[in-house]
Amino acid sequence: MTTTHLTQVAKHWDIFCTVVDNYGDIGVTWRLAKQLAAEYHIAVNLWVDDLNSFSHILPSLNPVLQQQIFNGVNIFQWNNPLDIDYQAGEVIIEAFACELPKQVKYVIEQLHQQPQSLVPYWLNLEYLSAEDWVDGCHGLPSTQPSGVKKWFYFPGFNQKTGGLICEQNLFNEREQWQANPKNKMGLFNQLGLSGINIDDSVISVFSYETPALTALMAQWQTSPKPIHALIPKGRSLSSLASFFTCDVSDLMPGQQFIFGNLTLHILPMTDQTGFDRLLWSCDFNIVRGEDSFLRAQWAAKPFIWHIYPQEDDYHLVKLEAFMKIYCDNLAAEISTAWCEVNLAFNQGDQHAVVNYWSQLNSVILPLQQHAINWPNNALNDADLASRLVQFVKNS
Amino acid sequence: MKTAHEIRPGNVIMLDGSPWVVQKTETTRSGRNAAIVKLKLKNLLLDSGTEQTFKGEDKLDDIVLERLDCTYSYFADPMYVFMDEEYNQYDVEADNLGDAAAYIVDGMEDQCQVTFYNEKAISVELPVHIVREVIYTEPSARGDTSGKVMKPATITGGGTVTVADFVKVGDKIEIDTRTGEFKKRV
Repeated sequence: MTTTHLTQVAKHWDIFCTVVDNYGDIGVTWRLAKQLAAEYHIAVNLWVDDLNSFSHILPSLNPVLQQQIFNGVNIFQWNNPLDIDYQAGEVIIEAFACELPKQVKYVIEQLHQQPQSLVPYWLNLEYLSAEDWVDGCHGLPSTQPSGVKKWFYFPGFNQKTGGLICEQNLFNEREQWQANPKNKMGLFNQLGLSGINIDDSVISVFSYETPALTALMAQWQTSPKPIHALIPKGRSLSSLASFFTCDVSDLMPGQQFIFGNLTLHILPMTDQTGFDRLLWSCDFNIVRGEDSFLRAQWAAKPFIWHIYPQEDDYHLVKLEAFMKIYCDNLAAEISTAWCEVNLAFNQGDQHAVVNYWSQLNSVILPLQQHAINWPNNALNDADLASRLVQFVKNS
Repeated sequence: MKTAHEIRPGNVIMLDGSPWVVQKTETTRSGRNAAIVKLKLKNLLLDSGTEQTFKGEDKLDDIVLERLDCTYSYFADPMYVFMDEEYNQYDVEADNLGDAAAYIVDGMEDQCQVTFYNEKAISVELPVHIVREVIYTEPSARGDTSGKVMKPATITGGGTVTVADFVKVGDKIEIDTRTGEFKKRV
């Protein structure tokens, strides 16, 4: 049984993350933890229930250790019940509405009942959505049965929301990287991807399973220009089993397969910096979920967003909401092609995705320019970490 | 205890030691199918208002106050007047009806529940499902019969409901008063 400290409140922040989808939840919380530590000098404890999944994006992490430090962040193995001494800090973030450990709730409640105690500021960091209702829910309290207030913090695309995760120097780093084509060629070499010429089209693929991907792959084989599709082992590759004579689980990073003018490369997993650079280096990115979706926007390259599927096709409502703001100042021809290819991909509509991919190619230059302009428009002067720190200060 | 998802306008919940009447509920969906419920609340002791957000499965302490079955009688600005079976009349402030006000129409026969706090009528809860007539909506654009294509419709009383594309002016529709959603044509 863990011990608890009820009277002392340290200045650190605790972030709790349950890993649901391998890389999404942990991807977001790891980026946030690193940024709070690096840019705001906050002592951050990151509690993660699945260090094995975490180690895929932080390869030097040892999944069997209870506690370790990377990038100035204290990473803890979060077992239930909590088997590590827990001391309340200044802020507690439950990422994506995960349920805090009972011991942590107990400490919060005990502190709340002590008149002179400082109670940690308790936040629920929610999922990113471009829907209108987010504006009205961001920053609202949620009084718990114990009387303790928890606050809902919604990331988002406008000033009324909690902002978007983006490190302070990210855009400069990306611009420098993209200014020199040697960088991308060097990265491809480093990743063991051979046969890519500097003018070839390179497309990264990190989606969920969908028949739309199979249709695009078939189309890319007949492309007049060589196309290289970079795909890590996992859910995208599972969609493409029919392309291989062997089981997709037997494929190894670095292997490549040529189908007409399409070369399919099996991509090794990489850390977050490597993933960003990969997105910066490709001509087009197919991404999924939340973390890679946002990083694809920051890459300033055109992309398809494969959104996490929800009941009753509700994910399409979220997709439409994002498409509406992304295409706000786009010419109708570009907007239609981009929206329809996204919709078709998400609906698994093979005929439509092929059709609209062709249309997208005819407007790719202005779409690329839009992708370059978008990050600064989307960021709205303040990123999530800075707004979050201010939100806590104002509380 | 009720989950936040089960809370309806007119319910009274205890928050931090005070009774609050729920004036409006708004349910939305966050990532991975999780429901988010936003509540507009009025403090029954202080007469002050607030908005709070909850996870759909959060437990809230709803309190059982005296309730009476009533029917709507008439509107005496700014009060809605309801009447019980013994012809007693109860005034409810328009503000306290929240979203329910959109469904109040003259001559309605729906059995409502008026809630009392300190002998004062503080809120009204409508039946979960009510039927109203569509008085205006655009004609069906594509002849859709699947029910997936939606459009706005104005109902008796002036409220707006998003309905299936096949719904026409004069149709009677069933509405879920908890969510304001169109359920079916009746």
